[in-house]
Formats: sequence, C-alpha cells, structure tokens
Amino acid sequence: MIRKLLFALALLYAAGWGSLASEQTVEAGPDALDYNRDIRQILSNNCYACHGPDKAKLEAGLRLDHQETALAELESGGRAIVPGDSSQSQLIVRITSSDEDEVMPPKAAGKSLKPEEIEKLRRWIDQGAKWKGHWSYLKVERPALPAVSNPGWPKTPIDHFILHRLDQEGLRPSPEADRAELIRRLNFDLTGLPPAIAEVDAFVADQSPTAYEKLVDRLLSSPRYGERMAQKWLDLARYADTNGYHIDNHRDMWRYREWVINAFNRNLPFDQFTTEQIAGDLLPGSTLDQKIASGFHRNVMVNFEGGADPAEYLTKYIVDRVTTTATVWLGTTLACTECHDHKYDPFTQREFYQLYAYFNNVPEQGLDGQKENPVPSIRVPSPEQTAQLEDLRRKLTGVEDRVNSELAKVTVEPPAIPPTLSTEPREYVWVDDVIPEGTTESGPDKTDSWHWVESPRPVLNGKRASERTATGLGQSVFTGARLPLVIGDGDKLFAHVYLDPNNLPDQIMVQFNDGTWEHRAYWGASKIDWGMDNTASRLSLGPLPEAGRWVRLEVDAARVGLSPGTVVGGWACTQFGGHVFWDKLGIMTRTPQASSLYDRQETWELAERSRSKSPVPEAVQAAVKIEPAKRGDEQRRAARDYFVRYIYNKTRAVFDPLNREANKIAKAEADLEKTFSATMVMQELPQPRDTFVLVRGDFRSKGDKVAPGVPASLSPLPAGAPANRLGLAQWLVDPNNPLVSRVTVNRYWQQYFGTGLVKTSEDFGSQGEWPSHPELLDWLACEFVASGWNIKGLQKQIVMSATYRQSSHVTPESLKHDPYNRLMARGPRFRLDAEMIRDNALSVSGLLDDRLGGPSVSPYQPAGLWEEVGFGPSFTAQSYVQSHGVDLYRRGIYTYWKRALPYPPLVTFDAPNREVCTDARARTNTPLQALVLLNDPSYVEAARVLGQRILKEGGATTPERLAFAFRLCTARAPQPKELEILTWIFDTQSAKYKQNPAAATKLIGAGESPRPAEMDVSELAAWTALGNVLLNLDETITKG
Amino acid sequence: MDFEQQLSRAITRRTLLGQSCRGLGSIALASLLNSGLEAATNVPGLGTHGALAELHFAPKAKRVIYMFMSGAPSHIDLFDNKPKLKELTGQELPASVRGDQRITGMTSGQAKLLMVGPAYDFKRYGNCGAEITEMMPHIGSIADDIAIVRSMHTDPINHDPAVTYLLTGNQQPGRPTIGSWMAYGLGSVNKNLPEYVVLLSGGGGQPLLARYWGNGFLPSKYQGVQFRSTGDPVLYVSNPEGIDPTTRRELLDGVQQLNRLQLEAVGDPEISTRIDAYEMAYRMQTSVPELMDISQEPKAVLDMYGAQPGKASFANNCLLARRLAERDVRFVQLYHRDWDHHGNLPNELKRQCGLCDQPAAALVKDLKQRGLIDETLVIWGGEFGRTAYSQGAISKNSFGRDHHPRCFSIWMAGGGIKPGITLGKTDDFGYNLVEDGVHAHDFQATVLHLLGVDHKRLTFRFQGRDFRLTDISGNVVQKLLV
Repeated sequence: MIRKLLFALALLYAAGWGSLASEQTVEAGPDALDYNRDIRQILSNNCYACHGPDKAKLEAGLRLDHQETALAELESGGRAIVPGDSSQSQLIVRITSSDEDEVMPPKAAGKSLKPEEIEKLRRWIDQGAKWKGHWSYLKVERPALPAVSNPGWPKTPIDHFILHRLDQEGLRPSPEADRAELIRRLNFDLTGLPPAIAEVDAFVADQSPTAYEKLVDRLLSSPRYGERMAQKWLDLARYADTNGYHIDNHRDMWRYREWVINAFNRNLPFDQFTTEQIAGDLLPGSTLDQKIASGFHRNVMVNFEGGADPAEYLTKYIVDRVTTTATVWLGTTLACTECHDHKYDPFTQREFYQLYAYFNNVPEQGLDGQKENPVPSIRVPSPEQTAQLEDLRRKLTGVEDRVNSELAKVTVEPPAIPPTLSTEPREYVWVDDVIPEGTTESGPDKTDSWHWVESPRPVLNGKRASERTATGLGQSVFTGARLPLVIGDGDKLFAHVYLDPNNLPDQIMVQFNDGTWEHRAYWGASKIDWGMDNTASRLSLGPLPEAGRWVRLEVDAARVGLSPGTVVGGWACTQFGGHVFWDKLGIMTRTPQASSLYDRQETWELAERSRSKSPVPEAVQAAVKIEPAKRGDEQRRAARDYFVRYIYNKTRAVFDPLNREANKIAKAEADLEKTFSATMVMQELPQPRDTFVLVRGDFRSKGDKVAPGVPASLSPLPAGAPANRLGLAQWLVDPNNPLVSRVTVNRYWQQYFGTGLVKTSEDFGSQGEWPSHPELLDWLACEFVASGWNIKGLQKQIVMSATYRQSSHVTPESLKHDPYNRLMARGPRFRLDAEMIRDNALSVSGLLDDRLGGPSVSPYQPAGLWEEVGFGPSFTAQSYVQSHGVDLYRRGIYTYWKRALPYPPLVTFDAPNREVCTDARARTNTPLQALVLLNDPSYVEAARVLGQRILKEGGATTPERLAFAFRLCTARAPQPKELEILTWIFDTQSAKYKQNPAAATKLIGAGESPRPAEMDVSELAAWTALGNVLLNLDETITKG
Repeated sequence: MDFEQQLSRAITRRTLLGQSCRGLGSIALASLLNSGLEAATNVPGLGTHGALAELHFAPKAKRVIYMFMSGAPSHIDLFDNKPKLKELTGQELPASVRGDQRITGMTSGQAKLLMVGPAYDFKRYGNCGAEITEMMPHIGSIADDIAIVRSMHTDPINHDPAVTYLLTGNQQPGRPTIGSWMAYGLGSVNKNLPEYVVLLSGGGGQPLLARYWGNGFLPSKYQGVQFRSTGDPVLYVSNPEGIDPTTRRELLDGVQQLNRLQLEAVGDPEISTRIDAYEMAYRMQTSVPELMDISQEPKAVLDMYGAQPGKASFANNCLLARRLAERDVRFVQLYHRDWDHHGNLPNELKRQCGLCDQPAAALVKDLKQRGLIDETLVIWGGEFGRTAYSQGAISKNSFGRDHHPRCFSIWMAGGGIKPGITLGKTDDFGYNLVEDGVHAHDFQATVLHLLGVDHKRLTFRFQGRDFRLTDISGNVVQKLLV
C-alpha cells in the first residue's frame, strides 16, 4: 500500500514539467475481505477479458463474474473456486503457477497479478468466497448512522460517517477553519466568486449561532450560484459554440446554457432537470423552455465534411448520446458495447442498441450545420425581442382595422354581361418603375441595386428606367416576388433595353429564377460564364441589339427551360461592361397573372379558377371555386374582400397604401424573427426509425432489429413508461434506479472535496473504485431522493457539515497518512477551476460584468490563432472577432467555446475542449499557467484596474492599501512578514516607475477599460505591478 | 536504502525543506526523486521522467520529428510510381480492382472512374535507386538515408477522422495523440522547454483542430504546445509592455517569497510544485525566444532549408525542429497544409513540392551532419493516399484525385530506421496493397518501439478501461528496423 502511494507521488514529482494533482487508492484494513471492496476489481482487471461478461471472448467456459459458473465444475474437471479451500481452487493454482503455459493471466494478455492481490484472492477463498452482486447495482438502502468516538463533533449526519472512519484509522479531524477562510471557501464553492471585504467583515463579526447557515442560504440564493453550478454541468453536456468536426464552424446554442443556469437558480429538482433535458420536447404541452432544455443531446458534435457519409455520422451522433447518458446519469462506461458485449460489466451490445433506439428518432441529418444550426433548431426571442414583436403585431392590427373599415365602405358593381377571359396573348408588365412587391434585392448594392433614374435619361415607359454602368460583370437582381409570373404555353418573356452607343457592353443577359437561376438568354459576346452554352442555362439569341434607341428583347419561355405552370419569382438584368438602361419587363401570355387588375370580381374569379398555381390564400381559392350562389357568408366575404383589397381596379388608391403598410410591418416582423437566436432542440419523428444492432459497431452492417429498452441488470422500466425518450427519462429518475442518485451525489461531493467518495466518478462498474465511505454515499443518495431531488438542499447538506468546515492546513503527519485527503481529516484545498481563476481576477479588480445569461463573448486573444487552423472566411468562426466594452469582462462560463481551438487561458487551466462529455477535469500545475497569469492582457488589465481600485478604495497609506489589496485577493489580512514583502515590492516598483514614466505609461495602457485621468501614472503602474504579483499568488488561485 | 525508504525519506524531507529552505529544496527533491526512480528500475539508463518507470526496450531514438502533411499527398504522384497507370490514363478503373470498398461522396456520384497516371516522371535516386518523383529532387538526394513505406493503410476516408485515427489510434475525438502519449509516458529531459511542441506552416488547406495535438483523456499538461513564428513564440511568454526582464524577476521574487510563506503556513506540496512551475516559466521567457530566433543561424544553414526568419513557413519550421531536437524536446510535430488535391493536382502538387521538398531534406541532412540523426526519428507523411482515378475531368494539365485510405506512402528516417529501403508493394494501379501492409496501428506501434516502449504496455486507465495508443491491435514493423 505505502509503496503504491509513494510511487504515485514519485511520478508526480518526477514529471518535472509541472505536477498532476491526482491521487491513489486508500484502502481499509479490516481482516474480513469483502467481495465488492476487495476482490471484484482484481478479477475484473485481470480475468474478465476472457472470463467475464463478453460471451464472444469466453475461454474454457469459465465466467468469474457469476457465482454459479465460477463455482461450477470446469471442463477440465476441477473447480476454479472451492469455497473455504484455496489449495483446491484451480484459480489459485493457475495464478501461482510457474509454468509459462499454465500461468494466469497468460503472458500475452500483458496483465500480471501483484503478490498482494494473489494473497487477497487466497484469503477470500479461504474465508468462504462469499459473493455479492456488484454494489452499485444493488438498490440504495438507507444506512444507520454509525457510532463515533466524539459525539460532540458531528454537526450533520455526514460527519458521523466521516468520523467513524477516522476513528477506525486512528485519526482525528482538523479544527474548524477560521471565518475568513470559511467564507472564501464557501463563496467559491457556491458562487465561483470571492467574497467582498465587507462580506468577510460581516461574517467574522456575526456572533449568532446561525451566522454560518445564513451565509450558506444567502449564497445559495445568489444568481451567481446558477452560473457556478452550470459550469460543471456544461462539461458533462459537452456544451460548445461550434460544431466540432473538421471546419468547426459556429452554432447557436447559448439558450441552452442560459436554461441550465436558470434551472440551477430556480432549484429545479434533479428529476425534472433530468427529464427536461432528456425529453423536454415530449412532455405534454411542453413549454418553450422545456424544448430548449432538450438541447442537452443536441450538443453533440456535428459534421459536414465534403464526401463524408451521412449515415456514418448520424450513427456517431446517436452513439454519443448513449455513451453520454450512461456517463452522466449511470456513471457507466458503455462505449465498448457499441462494438461488443462489455468486458467488465453486465451490459450487452444488444442493450447498447436498445438505448440507441431511444435516440434514433430525431429528424436530424447526418451532414448538417454548414450555414445554420443543424436541424431541428428553433428560434427563441429575448424579452426585448418579444416586446418588439408584440409592438409590430399591434401596429399590424391597427392597419388591418383600417382595411376592414375601408372594406365596409366599398360597393362592387354587379356585372351587366357575363364575364369572359381573353384567349389572345396579352402583354402583362411585371416590372416598371419599381420591382415587384415582396422581393429581396441581392448583390453588393442591396438597397438600390436597380438604380432607377428619370428623364432626361432614356425612359421608355412610366417615370423611370434602370441604369447601370459596369466594368466587367454588373447586374440588377431581385428574387422572391410575392406574386410571381405564371408561365403558360407559348409565352414570351420580354424586356426593353437601351444601349449607350458611346459605351457599349460586350454582352447583355436576362436571367429568370424559378428557384434556380438556370434560365438565361444573352446577346453579344460570351463573356459571362454561368451555365452551359447552347442550353437553357445559357442561350445565345444573337448579336447585341442596336444602340442609341429602345429595343424590345423577347425570349421564348420554353427555350430557356421554363415550362407551362412554372412560377418565376426573380429576374436579373445582367451586362458585361458598358452603359445600359432597362425598362418595362414582363410577359406575353394567355395565362392570367396573379397581380392583374380587374374591374369585375367575376372576371378575376374566372381567371383565378383557371390557374393551376396561385399565390392567393387557400381560403380565398377555395371560396372562389364554389359557385357564388352556393357560398356561405364566410366564403362570400373572403372572395369579395380579397378582390376589393388587392384586385379591384377602382379601389387601388385606397388599399394599395394600406397594403404596402401592412406588408412593411409583416416584413419587419419576418426580419425580426430572423434575429431571434436559434437553438438546437430534440424532436421526434412521427414514424420512428428502425434500429438494428450494428455488427462490430460498423454502420454498414446491420444485425438484429431491436426496440427501445434498458439494461436488464439494472432496475426495470417503471410501469407505463412510454417507449420513447420520456420513458427513458422516467426510468433514470425512478427511485428504484440504483445508479442515478449515487452517481449524482458523488459528483457533487467531488465538486467540494476534489475527489468523489467513489474516486472514479465516471465509472461505478467493476473497474471502478470501491467507495471510500460506502455508507455515506448511500445515505446521501437516499436523502437526495427523499428530499424530492432537491439540488440546493444537497449542497447545503454538504457544506453545513463539520467535515467541510475543517481547516485545510496540511501537517506532515496528515500528509503522510492521507496525502490525497480521501479520509477527510482536513478541509479541501485545491486550485480553482479555469473559469473561477478568470472570474476571481475580474471580481477583485471590480471589472466583472454581472449580467446573467446571454450569448457567448470573446475576450482578448492573441491574433491569428483561429486563422492559422481555419478554413477561411466563407465559414463562420474561422477568424476571431474580439468583443469590446462590458463583454470583455464577463464570467468565464460565457466565453466563446470553439472546439477546434478553445480559449487558451481557460484550456491552460484544464478546461476541456468539450468535444465529448467530461466528468472530472484534471487539475495540473504547469509553467504555461504561470505565463497566462503573468502576461495575458486580461490579467494585466485586471492588475491595472485592481491598482485603480486600491488607490480609490484602499485607504490613505501604503500599508493600508497593501492590506486592502491582499484582503481582496485572499480574504485575510496579511501577516507581518507578508506585509514586509508586499511593501518591498511596492517600494521597489514605485521608485522604478517614478524614474521611468514611459514604462509606467505602457504598463497602465493594458486593456480597453477606461483609466481615470487624475491618477498618477507612476503610482498606478507600481500598484499594477503589485496587482500582478497578487493575482499570481498560489493562495489567490486556490480554494483553501 | 531501498527505493521505498528513499522515497519515504524524500517526502518527509520535502516537507521539511519546504519549511526550512522555502521551497528551494523542491528542485533538489525533484532530482532526488528522479534518481530514486532510475535507481529502482534495475536497468541502468532506461528510467524515464514520465509515467513509465522504465523503458521496455533499449530505445533506438530519443525523440521524434513528425512532419505531418495535412490533406493527404498523392502517393501515386510522389513515391509509388505506376507506369501502367500512365498507359491506362482515360480508361475506366476495372471493377475487379475497385472491389466493393467505399469511396467518398465526392466521387461516388461520378458516372465513370477514369484512371490517370502520375502527373510527373519518376527518377531513381541514390545508391539504393529509390523511385521518387522528379518534383522532389532534394528528397531524392537523401534517398540513401530514408525508408520509403509504400504500404501504409488506414481505415477512415475523410480528413478529420483520418488525422484523428493516425495520431490517436481512434477515429472519434477524445483520445491522446501520439505526442501526448510520449510526454505522459516518457516525460521531459529538458528543464526549459515543454516535451511536446507543435509548429504550423500557416496558410490555407484543410482545417486543423487543436485535437490533432490534444491530450484527450490525459491531463492537459500533456498536450502539444504551439510554438509560433509570429506574435508570441509561445502564448503569453512575453512580458507585458512596461515590464522589463528585471522588473519581471523582481515581481516573480515577490510571488515566490509569498508562496513560500504560504507553503510554510499550509504545508500543501502543490505550492512547492507551483514555485517550480514559475521558475520554469521564467526560464522559458528566455529559452523560447532564443530558440525561435533563427536569424542567428549562418546564412548557409538558412539557405539549405530555404528559411526566411520572421514568417511562418514549413522551411522555418524544419529548421526550428532541428533546434528543438538539439535541445532534447521529445516530440516535435510540424503541420503543413494544402495537400488535398481534388482538382488541379499537377499544379498544386508541384507547388507543394516546392514548399516541402528542400526543407524536409535539409532537416535530415542537418541532423545527420550534427550527429543527431541516429537518435532522432524523422517522419514525413499525410493521413491517407489518393485515388488512381480522377475526380472530375482529365485534361492535359489538370485532373484531381479523391481520398484513398487503402494504401499510401510515407517516409521515415533516423533513429532505428533502416536507411535506403523501400518497403511494401501496391498493385499496378496504386489502389490495393500487395505486400507488407503497414496499418496505422502498426505504424504507431513501431514509433513507440523505436523509443523503447511496448505499445501494449503504455496504458492509461480511463472510464474503467486501460486505453493505449494502438487500441487493440498494432504490430511492430520489423522490416523497417535496423
């Protein structure tokens, strides 16, 4: 045991390039061996590969994970295990054999048993080889509180379990930490931020017995609590702002992050927290909020690499959902069962695909996300946007009211003679003076791409013509007409053109858009290379027309690939060089056009009925199809009102302005909706996809078809659970589920103490570690469920304990006995998380922006980092655009998370890249971290602003100011020796910067935040230097 | 005194030293622990500074320089001459050759898969007579020093998973890269520089992801550290404006003194480690800029590489790789992009050869003349090969090739690699392997072997499983070894 420990320590120190704060097993030493605690992991690690749950790899028919098979007679005749008699047990014979062909594990397996492991197995068999089901799969039972040596010490039930174990080990708990230490520890643990000096003072001065509890309650109700808790959860949720694979472009997902923060702040019980994230979209009458929550499993990376197979990636997304669900809720590694039965734990490959089936019904695509969020994605307005939207809708209602009152005033003349439709083609002018309603202009000059001009420039019809001078390619374009042209048999499209004889183009072209632009005709040279020559996509109609006069150009619709019934909503007039005017664009047609005006409703209805496609609202179309006499009131009004409002040529003066106003508002509404931030959500296909076992995990080889289901070795699905994600969620939060509550309380314990009661917080299986305090784990799990999965309640339970409140000071004895503090004879002490280090610097300097939620921001980052790895400007998130103003000072949780190159100052402090679910971050201690804190502009600016704060708030004398600054960073007053060093630093720097104001000016130029002009440059520089020292102290970046 | 006693005493001493000598002792302690480790291995000289207590074999190489050619250079046009393919240019790839394996979505819709021969002629170089494209005369000039592997093969067919696979052993993100494994297993022998350094050539081409030099599930200190030719050579290594080196030292002294007081008061050994880390950071502030300043290299050396101080380029990075090797950095990875020639291959390939040929050859020559080649493993290659058939139309000066994982070529040199050989054979179409296939996992196993590591025994327990670089396979390629 001690050797193992020492060896681990040796590795830590020998690494040279920093150390890794991790730890090794602490093992209890009672005589009776426990299968779960002492034996299972030895067998699992060394034997299960061939004698475990994976039936495909089973050797000699021997399974050591099952009691019956392990005790049964072997093919060879002997028994692997004879309870009570290790000498007759083949297992012992084989593992102690000196014959290379006999010895187990075989040499080729690369495993070997340590002498102490062999000894344990021998003793366990001699003690009767008592089997137990794997502890974490057994139902959680509430243990009784154990007896303790000092009943006065425990403050909560937790402490009984801790002290009981310390008693066994002959250890004593540490004294309570002092008040300043405690409030700082609590602040970081519950809010991720340091306490203010006044808060420290108030807590130190509060003599009431409930002082500590009041503090806990205050911090738990701070909105900062949600941010702190969310930071951990986002690692599990693999939250990021980019798609992750290959080009790694942008996605909008911050609404999900905001949901997590809010969920913690409103103390959403963990069962609902779970259900909404697994299946929020499937809850009856699910709210927008619950849909956003379902984005948990849309945080998977998404690919669109050219040439990749969509089916392959679709599979990967779903596999990630299964393995992440298993890690987060079950503390179980299922990744191996994608390809084969589990080697160590009782999970089959088939069961993996049963879980897979739950996630296989999302209407998503294998390759997606190139332009916008991968589908399905919804748009969610902010409160301000909701207000704007409501305002627009009110305005629209106002216009509609006016329309209705005008409609009531109009009388339509009854027809004198029966209406007829002309059978001759007639000229229908579509574009004259203005482009059609509802269109979007595109191209570089978006707002006025048609350059309308009036006489004395050449104008053919109406008041205006479109003019353009181009060198090279130039064009006027629109798309998306609300009332498009409808092409009929034999139709000709026409345009009128005037070429400037003094500046002739090389080529002119007209292009028509029916969804694509592959319909082009041109005159003159062939300079514009769109389409293929001599096809509808690029049809030559001869030389340039005569210049210096208006010429009518005509194009047979059929020759440019526009067949009858086609709807043309866009048009482009294109030229290569020269000076060109265009006017009066339209169509010669027998087909009634949607925007034709009529003087009789019956004639319009006749035209409308003859149309195969119509832009008229469906209700109006339906009404028009009914004979007038047979229409109901509603239908009669629909047809008549539409006619009067849009078609009747005698009411244009009244309704056209109103219609324009209504359209403008509608467009503003559509534009506003486009600015709503999108967020990816889960949805369910109406028809579930079939799910098959994928042989060896290969998406191309389908095996048996499977239905949704949960692993047989765990609790069954609750009665009535539907066969979809909602059912899965109900199973997870069913109190009978043995893993979810244990895994969850363990993870929270880990958050406070650095290591969980189960050290392998991501693995509660055979290969995982036996809990340091199994009864405490189960007691916490029971309490958690019984409390209604109260997350804040659980946090309070932990921090109220005497265990948590101990001093974290390390003595040589305690270091020797328990170097990694697994027994908790002292309080936790370890480096802050990456985000907290940033937040702390922003907080103590006063720079921190405390807005809750919102989109991601981009702090200072060295130039070129993204560009060096990016794919160029045609994709999002390929070049870094730094934020300004308050967005520079947001908490780390809001930092833009680009998976291909996450923000280096956070990564350097062990923030994960969020490609996959991360349970526990490593906690390293490296020179690169020193460089960040010493030199990153964010920290230099924080030091400078801290300097400003010292000058403003820190008192009048240098010692006062030094103490103030030190307290800001550590919550405690400096010791005399420390003050001496601080004074030396300040005096030295002060003298130097007085002599070198140029250097002083440079130093205090750090960052974009404003600098009070009245402050003395050299003095501020000296305080900045001192701030730089303080922000680099071990104590500043450590929770102690 | 046995190992256990020695360590036990060291730990006690550490605490004592921390109190009496204010952390200075921790440096001495680290070396004491190191020597303790080495003493414990019983194999003199095979102890490591990383997680492995000892090397599994006597190492052939101490370090690796891996020139990664992102985008996948065409083996058919560079190292695997196919005269028959030239004759068959314009004809359809026989179905018997193609077999039933997958091809990418970029050419799977093509009506015909028409074969196209090498864009340029091949020449025989060196005494060994290795066949190499005439576009790489400099590589030709080191033909007797390198081993060309024509029989590499891999599983994925797209860039992201293929790079991830070759470097981490798995197509999906989440596992450590080969450099991280080495940093973890072997540790550093350099007190002033990280053990795993990454250099990018800059410029367009297939995107890169930090995952390609990432630590996966290993602690983040094992990830590759990017050294840059523009801006800070290592992020945040430069002092802020207004803080000169003297001031920095003074402020650092302040930090260290206060940290030592804290160590005395609290006793947490992490504080001691932090004190050391700050000292190394300070040393890096000098060692890194000094290392990255190639302007002091003699003109003849700069010319040999084609290096131009002050800008990011593959040539500069090759020269920097040598400087890093001289300073005993364990793993240096160069990323050069833009080998993804789906179209316009003849011109693009020529351009890339122009950028890569001379510097890569210069690196080998330079290492050789400095006596470093025998202890440095040099690797040049991409993530897969390219198809025998053209993507898009074939014209006299233009055609393209799609991704092809079934065979491709790389070359290796130095530390334990048999020089002047060409290993492996592909069919007349450069489409299928014929003999001596080297799978990605075999390649990884071989690299680890050359460094004295058994790929099956460098493992890390994560989520209950002992992971390794080669996943569940990999065989050392004996034929490549001296």
